[in-house]
Amino acid sequence: MGRRGCRAAALAALWSVVFVLPASGQARPAPRQAPAGPTPRAGSWEVGGGVAYVGGFDLGDAAAELTRNTGSSGSPFTLFVTSWEVGPAPGVEGRLAYYFSPRFAVEGRVRFAQPVLGIEASADTEGAPDVTAEETLDQYVFGGSALWHFARPSPRTRVVPFVFGGAAYLRELHEGQELVETGRDYQAGAGVKVWFGSARRRLGIRGDAGLAIRDGGVDPETNLRAVPIAGASLIYLF
Amino acid sequence: MTPRLRLLAAAVVVLLGAAPLGAYLKLGSRVGDRTVTLKWNQFPVRYFVTDRPAEGVGVPEFQAAIERAFATWHAVETAQTSSEFAGFTQAQPFEDDDMSVLGFVDRSDQDRTLAATSFLIDTRDGTILESDIFFNSSFRWGTSDPGVQGRFDLESIAVHEIGHLLGLSHSALGETELVSGGRRVIAAETVMFPIAFSSGSTADRTLKADDIAGMSDIYRTSASSRQFGSISGRVTKNGAGVVGAHVVAFNPRTRALIGGFSLGSDGAFVIAGLEPGPHLLRVEPLDDGDIDSFFDDSFGVDVDFSVKFHERVVVVPRGGGTMNVEIRVTPK
Repeated sequence: MGRRGCRAAALAALWSVVFVLPASGQARPAPRQAPAGPTPRAGSWEVGGGVAYVGGFDLGDAAAELTRNTGSSGSPFTLFVTSWEVGPAPGVEGRLAYYFSPRFAVEGRVRFAQPVLGIEASADTEGAPDVTAEETLDQYVFGGSALWHFARPSPRTRVVPFVFGGAAYLRELHEGQELVETGRDYQAGAGVKVWFGSARRRLGIRGDAGLAIRDGGVDPETNLRAVPIAGASLIYLF
Repeated sequence: MTPRLRLLAAAVVVLLGAAPLGAYLKLGSRVGDRTVTLKWNQFPVRYFVTDRPAEGVGVPEFQAAIERAFATWHAVETAQTSSEFAGFTQAQPFEDDDMSVLGFVDRSDQDRTLAATSFLIDTRDGTILESDIFFNSSFRWGTSDPGVQGRFDLESIAVHEIGHLLGLSHSALGETELVSGGRRVIAAETVMFPIAFSSGSTADRTLKADDIAGMSDIYRTSASSRQFGSISGRVTKNGAGVVGAHVVAFNPRTRALIGGFSLGSDGAFVIAGLEPGPHLLRVEPLDDGDIDSFFDDSFGVDVDFSVKFHERVVVVPRGGGTMNVEIRVTPK
């Protein structure tokens, strides 16, 4: 009971820090006394921040069509055609992870990117020049992942591969920030952490790549859509 | 006594436009130095149907087709309109008798006008007091589904005219070609296009996004005010406003096309009744119909510019508006 309560409190702290960080930009995890022995261990924390890459995706074609003057038969008259897409974009991300064991951790994460939504119009029946109209989206992802590490860092093992998987809340604001579209984002991937030194508190770097399965957001399709993602972070274990 | 004015509004024509009132997406009338929107302030609209049949359409079929056409507009969930069939009458359309009368009239002198709508309005505020529609019985009409080649579908034309009766003017969402004697419509994506589809077509029994947006703009409900948004801005050429430019908003999600016009010397336009989301704007000169099908001669419509798309995606917020969009066009 006591252990469960402690774990719940730790998770609550993790989530509150994750969600407060992007708003204030100044919040810091409360200092903790590092336990004795090799780290990470159950109860260790890892904080990180860095850059991210979010892949683009095609939203398909949409023709502007008029009803042709042949009654119900005949194909529509195409005024012009469009194809639209969300382009790939760099971003920034922050993470806070809690280790339940030396190999298993749960992390909360926030990512911000500004992909460009483009609508390309062409084949205008009255000869309007082709154009790609654009707007910049503000894309936020708030979520959590579970991580499994394939090794425990030691003086001889500084490179730790891992896999991760999780889910997130997707929030996309159109230009002008007057229209918000939300969705879900399921992520899975793999990466490596490289630790510097062997102190209980130490710095490292993390690189990861994977796929995000989007559901919703600016995407009008009801189908799930896979988008490549990648990131590189500076991490700190304590 | 209420100051009244009878207006001949818009007529749907076979090939060539008739001479309607100066109008745009919503019908308007000049009151002093301002334009007021023509609209009913009391519902249901009580209407009478004349007891005169036409060749091929009996009185019961005529009344049933009119009732279906009214119902088509009343089914727009985002607009609040209703009507009531008040009975058959021997009165004629276009008479000032405090009765809204719809019926056949033989106007063989108007050999290009299928039907027309007139209004009696309160000139103080544009309130519609009475509106009549005549269907020209010198044409061959039909009510069957599907339509019959050689007969104009009464219900389709009635949907168009009742759109006028409720306050909508013509929309320019269509493409035409010049043929001997006038214009022929190639395609249209609005019931309110001024030129009718060919005989036998029943396509205009079904409202399009442009029609729904226009009606929702005039008779908006609280739900439609929350659900829809608008785009407003200016069309300019060499820094000056362009009058009468046709601006179309295209939603790539829904594929809906909704049009409006730039009005006034500053080139200002507003397109309301849009679903929230990203839109592509396209502006074109008013060259797919006779200008007097949309505006009166004094309006000074500028058609000397090239068709173009706006370079930015314009995002429509839910229940709000995106303003200050400037579309710069260049002379032809």
